[in-house]
Amino acid sequence: MIYRIRHLTEYEYQHPVSLCYNLAHLQPRNTSYQSCLSSKLQINPMPAYSRKRKDYFGNNILHFSIEEPHKKLSVEITSDIRIDEGRASPELNLDLGSTCAQALEALRQNQTKPTLEAREFVLDSPMVKVMDALRDYAAPSFAADRPLLSAARDLTHRIFTDFTYDPAFTTVATPLSDVLEHRRGVCQDFAHLAIGCLRALGYPARYVSGYLETLPPPGQVKLVGSDASHAWFSLYSPDEGWFEFDPTNDNMPAEQHITTAWGRDYSDVAPLRGVLFDGGKPQPPRVAVDVQRLET
Amino acid sequence: MSFSQQQQSDQGPALVYPRPAGLKDEVYAPDGSMRSHWEYLLDSLNVLGSDALSERQRKAERILRDDGATYTLSSASLASHTWGLDPIPLLIGSEEWSQIETGLSERAELLDLLLKDIYGPRELLRSGILPAELLYSHSGFLRPCQDIKLRGDNQLILHSADMIRGADGNMVIIGDRTQTPSGAGYALENRTVMRRVFPSLFRDSHVHRLSLFFTTLRHTLTRLAPPANLSGGELPSIVILTPGAYSETYFEHTYLANYLGYPLVQGGDLTVRNGYVWMKSLDGLTRVDVILRRVDDNYCDPVELKSDSRLGVPGLLEVVRSGRVVVANPMGSSVLENTALMKYMPQISQFFLGHELQLASVTTYWCGESDDLAHVVANIDKLVIKRCARRAGEFSVFGCDLSASERLQLIERIRLNPLHYTAQEYVAPSSAPSWNKGTLQSRPSVLRSFSVAGEGSYSVMSGGMTRVGVEQDSRLISNQIGSLSKDTWVLASEPEKQLTLQAGPGGESLSQIHQYTNLPSRMVENLFWMGRYSERADAAIRVLRTVFVQLNSAVILPKGADRLLLRAVSEVTLTLPGFTKDNLDLLRKPEPELLSVISDAQRVGSVKASLIAMLNCAEEVKELLSADIQRIINDIRDELNGLEDAVTKGMASAPEETLDPLISALLALSGLYQDSMFRGLGWRFLQIGRRLEKAQQIASLLRHLLVPVNVDPSEPLALESALLSTEALNTYRRRFRAETNIISGLGLLLIDRSNPRSLIYQLDKLFKDLSELPHRSKGPELPHTQRLVLEVSAAVRLADMRALATVDEKLQSRVQLDKLLQQVQQRLNETAIAVSEDFFDHTGGPQQLVNTGWNGEL
Repeated sequence: MIYRIRHLTEYEYQHPVSLCYNLAHLQPRNTSYQSCLSSKLQINPMPAYSRKRKDYFGNNILHFSIEEPHKKLSVEITSDIRIDEGRASPELNLDLGSTCAQALEALRQNQTKPTLEAREFVLDSPMVKVMDALRDYAAPSFAADRPLLSAARDLTHRIFTDFTYDPAFTTVATPLSDVLEHRRGVCQDFAHLAIGCLRALGYPARYVSGYLETLPPPGQVKLVGSDASHAWFSLYSPDEGWFEFDPTNDNMPAEQHITTAWGRDYSDVAPLRGVLFDGGKPQPPRVAVDVQRLET
Repeated sequence: MSFSQQQQSDQGPALVYPRPAGLKDEVYAPDGSMRSHWEYLLDSLNVLGSDALSERQRKAERILRDDGATYTLSSASLASHTWGLDPIPLLIGSEEWSQIETGLSERAELLDLLLKDIYGPRELLRSGILPAELLYSHSGFLRPCQDIKLRGDNQLILHSADMIRGADGNMVIIGDRTQTPSGAGYALENRTVMRRVFPSLFRDSHVHRLSLFFTTLRHTLTRLAPPANLSGGELPSIVILTPGAYSETYFEHTYLANYLGYPLVQGGDLTVRNGYVWMKSLDGLTRVDVILRRVDDNYCDPVELKSDSRLGVPGLLEVVRSGRVVVANPMGSSVLENTALMKYMPQISQFFLGHELQLASVTTYWCGESDDLAHVVANIDKLVIKRCARRAGEFSVFGCDLSASERLQLIERIRLNPLHYTAQEYVAPSSAPSWNKGTLQSRPSVLRSFSVAGEGSYSVMSGGMTRVGVEQDSRLISNQIGSLSKDTWVLASEPEKQLTLQAGPGGESLSQIHQYTNLPSRMVENLFWMGRYSERADAAIRVLRTVFVQLNSAVILPKGADRLLLRAVSEVTLTLPGFTKDNLDLLRKPEPELLSVISDAQRVGSVKASLIAMLNCAEEVKELLSADIQRIINDIRDELNGLEDAVTKGMASAPEETLDPLISALLALSGLYQDSMFRGLGWRFLQIGRRLEKAQQIASLLRHLLVPVNVDPSEPLALESALLSTEALNTYRRRFRAETNIISGLGLLLIDRSNPRSLIYQLDKLFKDLSELPHRSKGPELPHTQRLVLEVSAAVRLADMRALATVDEKLQSRVQLDKLLQQVQQRLNETAIAVSEDFFDHTGGPQQLVNTGWNGEL
């Protein structure tokens, strides 16, 4: 499957911004099942400085700064991405593999590089802090003798069932405790919630940001800019690797999920962050995303 | 020896240091004998006697105060504490020191390797030597710093270690400081003071000098500069980055800036453009190549690190990453301050060096290991509990000091977050003699060492900063709770040849005030405001004093006079509404309002508020002020602390006299501005600030005393008060003898160029100072600022004094005088704004593109 993804972010300021320094996690990374065929970035006004590199987690990161006064900033990226088949086949039997108890034991004992490094993702991170309430919510899915992946799939399903998708309820800054209490949120909150649940029980979990191809209702034409960026989570099972789950859609990401970046939580992979001087009261940006299928 | 036994009786009782019972002691060996390297010092002190030693200590305190040596304990500007120095140095013999020195140098090397590994391959994790959680859970592990490398062999440029004497008599390390190690400047100041207070004792003791450490530091910083930044032969530009005047160790930052000769900058003085770091200076932007920082890791760059930090430079880390600026110590180095690492030092040392460290670390337990946690819980009363990541204002907890319930609470806190806690065996520090209330008493002491990366190896300062406990059994020893410090004398077997940073006979003394060719704009702005506030305070004091004199004079005042005078106080100081509301109660009993105009620090325009504002500006430009100015500034600070009491007491008898000490201090200050400051651009801005403010104040005073004519115009009171306020009354009387005459009075106050307190005198000087500034406009015209001043000075000079003196009977006012003075005030305001727009920095504070509520801190 090949997709073309267009992601446009536009800021308009009350007063001219004299200087801004930004970090962008926008160019999708290569993974074992996905490759970025091409990527084109357009920033307006033209940056005085820009440089691409790989960040700590191996994501593509772009630094750029604009050093002339501007009242508008637009960042547009268009990437062509190939997703391999068989990323998560429906036949994958979640009832095989390590049990929860075995996985926890292996995390303690296993001295392999991937397992040692995965232990970073058990710890608290800036936006996900372990609480008793998370542990209590997660516990019923994770019986000691249940296969870990089956338990995680169950947690995904429970979040999908128990929580209401409600973009009006949360912002980027809504704390996890509010999401849990009110049982509302968006994909980012549900990913954080699941990550918090897993970490509370001692399992490594990371945050994955990306896109999801959405299909219009039968008989209707797909609207331009109607897609959105998306987020889900990934769980590490020693000796088995990382497995992805999408609690917003109650499934395991397959060919319609395009990965941009991963980290401990949203704060590691925010699509665009930065510091600016002047500009007046901050206004929310206008964001438009299109995920277009080029080839099946 | 410079003193003899016979003098003893004149010098007070003999000084003996008794052997403390049952304690490890620096002076006495376990068998009770005195260690030989202490004999000379203790004999000398004995001969000197306690009275003489008290006198030397007072001298030391005076020098410290005059140098402005402070350790700021709170952010209130009047609360600076003079650095406390115990006049008895800590002595270390040369043989022992050479072992310590080797041990410290080895430790710095190991930490350097560790730092490279943590932000590089993380072999220690992969080979199972360090638990993954120990590193990953520490807030000092900054993921954006992965793979950042400084040029040269070493990543860790500066290292400090705190050490005490362990049970076996050997030094043992209890903590490392690796992000912005502080104290080297205080050690230098301690040494400077000790050399002045005990010149012969110091000379005859053959003490190792400290200067080599600073020379190496300078060479290292110069060597670190990115070669691609520099064109052939160009010297790198090096700055010291400080969090600012509210930092507890700000004195040290200014001291080091002066000693090393580098500009002291704050985050706002630097900006990232075009992929380089620049300093905002009067000449525009000048490139910076190396930054010696005193800002903590996480605060250095709000783009990639703590996003709400206002102390850093947005974009700095990316410039570091691209190699176009070097920051020392590198950002991310606080990860080495993780106390849990001390537990693993033997294994880390085996891994990298193949042997154990010569200097041992104190036995440490990390609660992230379940066995250690169990041990800590069971033995908490014998342990010192520390967080893995140090937090400001948080101290080590001594289990033995806690009640049973406090212990349980602490254990509970540890169990909730075991990864974040360590515990260390409590080792009582050895004691050393300390000067206390006229006797030598034993006090526990901790030594802080300083190492700097040199070419090939680390170079250790021969000495350090010793801190002593407040009481004999003090466990916690920290400057934050008022512990004293000591100079540390490493004794050489023979005299060393002198080696100092600056040429000349000054030894380790503070260098001449260093004049930067390039001042950060912020400093210039502070000098400008320092000038304005000192004149504003001066004008307020003078008008108050005049009013007190008139109100208390034996002569009965003409009707309406008190109202005129009191209104002038409110108008001139701008403490409105004050007396301008014609509130009869207030006019009948003016003392409380006058007291408030003097000493209410919260009231803008009061004497105290203006002087505090001036002190704050002075603090920002501390390194440009001479020692004499610093002394007057200290006097003003002391005076302000007692101001309210003094005025309240004086109010009944002679309130005008209570303000005299402040007038004298301000006069001294204005003399020193003339005589003890280098005539650089900074000085020019100070003068511009003073002239502008003074001219404004004269205009305002005359406008409020001489324009309204609600008193019989033939009464001399208003003119006399104006003359008195401007110190011109005597001149006037000498010159004109006869009755006061408003026309000749106005002449003296407005256009007499020989009167330094006339308006025209100030305007002329202002014009001249402005014309010395670098040109900002391109064309041949006079710059805007000068045109404004020229316009008013012409108007004043051309004015007809007779016309100005004419009273409009209907309005009961001197209308023409009012018009002229109003024009002067308005144009001067415009001038101030134009100066600010042309020369000062106007970037607002940074804000985040997306406010996420988290600030980048775990």
